Amino acid sequence: MRRTRMALAALMALFLIGAACTTDEGGDGGDGGGGGVNQEENTGTVNVLNAMEPHEAEAVQAAVDENIGDVDYTVEIEASADFEEQFPIRAEGGTLDVALVPQPGTVAAEAEAGTIVSLEDMGIDVGQLEETVGEYLMSLVEFEGEHWGVPTNVNLKSMIWYPKDDFDAAGYTVPETYDDLIALSDQIVEDGGTPWCVGFESGSATGWPATDWMEDIMLRTAGPDVYDQWVAHEIPFNDPAVVTAAETFGEVMFTDGYVLGGAADTPSIAFGAAPLPMFDDPPKCWLHRQASFIIGAAPFPEDAESGVDYDWFPFPPIDQEGTLLAGEFAVVGTNGNRPEVTDFLEKFLSEPVQCAQGGDPLSSRVSPNLEVGPDCYANEILADSAAVLTEALANGTGRFDASDLMPGEVGAGSFWTGMVRYMQQGPDSVQGVLDDIEASWPA
Amino acid sequence: MIGDSPDPALAGSGGRTGERPRQRPLPGVAPGSRRGEGWNVVETTEVRTSGPEPPPGEGEPTPPDERAGRSPRRLVALAIGAAAAVILFPLAFAYLRDPDANRVGVVALAIVVGVGGVFLLFWVLNRTVDFLPARFRETIRPYVFVGPALVLLLVFLVYPVFNTIFISLRNSSSTEFVGLDNYRFVFTDSGMLRSIRNTAGWLVLVPIVAVSTGLAFAVMADRLIRGEAVAKSLIFLPLAISFAGASITWQLIYSYRPQGFGSNVGLLNGIVLGLGQDPVRWLELQPWNNLFLMVIMVWMQTGFAMVVLSAAIKSIPDEIIEAARIDGASELQVFWRIIVPTIIPTIVVVTTYMIINSMKVFDIVFVQPANAEANGTVVMAERMIRWFFQLNHNGRGAAVAVVLFIAVIPVMIWNMRRFREEEAIR
Repeated sequence: MRRTRMALAALMALFLIGAACTTDEGGDGGDGGGGGVNQEENTGTVNVLNAMEPHEAEAVQAAVDENIGDVDYTVEIEASADFEEQFPIRAEGGTLDVALVPQPGTVAAEAEAGTIVSLEDMGIDVGQLEETVGEYLMSLVEFEGEHWGVPTNVNLKSMIWYPKDDFDAAGYTVPETYDDLIALSDQIVEDGGTPWCVGFESGSATGWPATDWMEDIMLRTAGPDVYDQWVAHEIPFNDPAVVTAAETFGEVMFTDGYVLGGAADTPSIAFGAAPLPMFDDPPKCWLHRQASFIIGAAPFPEDAESGVDYDWFPFPPIDQEGTLLAGEFAVVGTNGNRPEVTDFLEKFLSEPVQCAQGGDPLSSRVSPNLEVGPDCYANEILADSAAVLTEALANGTGRFDASDLMPGEVGAGSFWTGMVRYMQQGPDSVQGVLDDIEASWPA
Repeated sequence: MIGDSPDPALAGSGGRTGERPRQRPLPGVAPGSRRGEGWNVVETTEVRTSGPEPPPGEGEPTPPDERAGRSPRRLVALAIGAAAAVILFPLAFAYLRDPDANRVGVVALAIVVGVGGVFLLFWVLNRTVDFLPARFRETIRPYVFVGPALVLLLVFLVYPVFNTIFISLRNSSSTEFVGLDNYRFVFTDSGMLRSIRNTAGWLVLVPIVAVSTGLAFAVMADRLIRGEAVAKSLIFLPLAISFAGASITWQLIYSYRPQGFGSNVGLLNGIVLGLGQDPVRWLELQPWNNLFLMVIMVWMQTGFAMVVLSAAIKSIPDEIIEAARIDGASELQVFWRIIVPTIIPTIVVVTTYMIINSMKVFDIVFVQPANAEANGTVVMAERMIRWFFQLNHNGRGAAVAVVLFIAVIPVMIWNMRRFREEEAIR
């Protein structure tokens, strides 16, 4: 009798432990794939983790569902507000199918840790991809001779916005060169206006819009090749080429009357609020440099009409030509080493699916697929920016946002901080600021 | 008498029926309705069997026939309960993990699963102990009850401490051993040094200001003839706000808008403008911006210090204070020589709490619409989060955590020593 009870008690304890264990394993959502050559079985679902805004994710989901054709799996576009934390957690936990990663810099770290699968292992033809999106984008995700991501979206950073109706009424013309741009700025000051609206505040990330300015100028003063060396730290951050770029940036920021509020105020002005004085009547400022997302993410006034109240022109060349861009790369986690994921990646980059994604005016998604034509885009602003991007990718002058390629402690740390200090302390601080950033570069 | 029972497994049931013989004279009860009595079993059996001699007359011995009829049913009930748990728990967890599930349902189920699960765990463990031979039973029972808490402590407190130390000796992705490099960084990097200095400032200034103003309020509120509760509530109110919420509220006070971006809505700049001066970028005004941020913490914590100290002051016997006054002590003398010495243990506890809170401060700095590093407002906890989670350098983040952990040890020792002294006096 006693034995039976003890046995039962032991059994019960085992049951409980068993229950706990089952739930634990369920939490992992299945085992990670081997990360090897052999792919796992088709599970019927491809999960795509991404950092999009909810409306953008909805638009992409719809574009995929309607255009992917007859396939034996469903696609889940899962937007996550804390993507930057979720991506490494899922990749390291072996539960990641596909992630759309905006920072190619993080891809190499995951590849090194063995938590993601290379395109070669997925059976994707990289040569074909290079023809589709241009060689430059593919070079960003190359690590130890293999490629680790498929470019699925790009957007244009080198855009200067202006209040078109007032601009035309004042008799100003769109500048073709950097000298024209400076001449235009002087003209505006002479007419009693303030040329530039600039704001770098972004909470604890304050300073990042200033790094975009620096990158745009660096690309145009030093050229794409030196830009690549700068990103790869083949030249130091305080190299004369970088000093020249920073000084050119300073000429715009520190010239009396050029910037609304003055350069020292720019770290206190929210980047989303910065362009708004442009829509006052008369405009309190006339020029605003910001990437294409500014229409959707930090909207212009609701009644402002694109092509009438505002328009844009590309940041003009200085000594060299170049185009600054950003974008995202589809990276496959060890859980996604399956045939339907390979198929999904090929279809996701295909012309019909990419073209459909351009149809959403708010998300400003431009396709890296060079075959996607201007007719795919929701409006003229997107179509024009797509034309600039496609050309830059095809002729090799397009360059990815440097701060997203640099190590985190620089690209998301000392570079931001350095630019804020430069604005606060004025033109004489340039050398010290760049020396500090150089010192922060990880050995 | 229970110890003499022929069947040790029945000790528990004997105790239970002994507890409530009239309410439940019959043995056959459904498993669900029985659960509530699991706790009684513990208490009564413990009292009974752990004492050298069971108190006579307390609790009726269970009739033998009742015992015999009870055991198999109980076993069946236990088995059914266990089987139900095995099936229901995974189902419940599957529901909890469903992203589309009704949020209210998820919360309700989480409470049921959490509370019920813990209850079930203890109940089953307690029952399991009942099956053990009588000799071990009461030696093991305390460990069974303390055990889960100890395991949780080990898993969530002790293990992380050692793991953090381990990570702090490794590189950014924790793949290679790098010795003390991360600690070298903590004590050489200009941003880190700045954060150490600032944190030192926080943990000196905030406790001093918050505790002394809290004490002043407590003493003065004690003298209010009317409205003490209202005055205290008003000062206590900010404590109910989260740090992040309070920081955002204070942005309305420190707000600065450059010319061309609307009128200055910030309270301070409103005053400055009213005095005919130019608006100021308060959060960029080094080094005073650190003080401006500390004010937020003081504003929140003063109420806490006041309430706790006020309670301590009220517990001072009136006779002592009256006696002092009769002896001709001035109000200041009463305060410094009677009130303060009497409540010093409370002051120590409150101060320790403030010091530890100041060490942890992170959100107040992090939420500010400014680059903390460029403005020199960085603090250690903020650096820790930034290096670990945002810059993905596990080693450096963990090294800051370890330094903070070590820094808090002296405060804890001081607090414990005081506590022991108090106990010794008693």
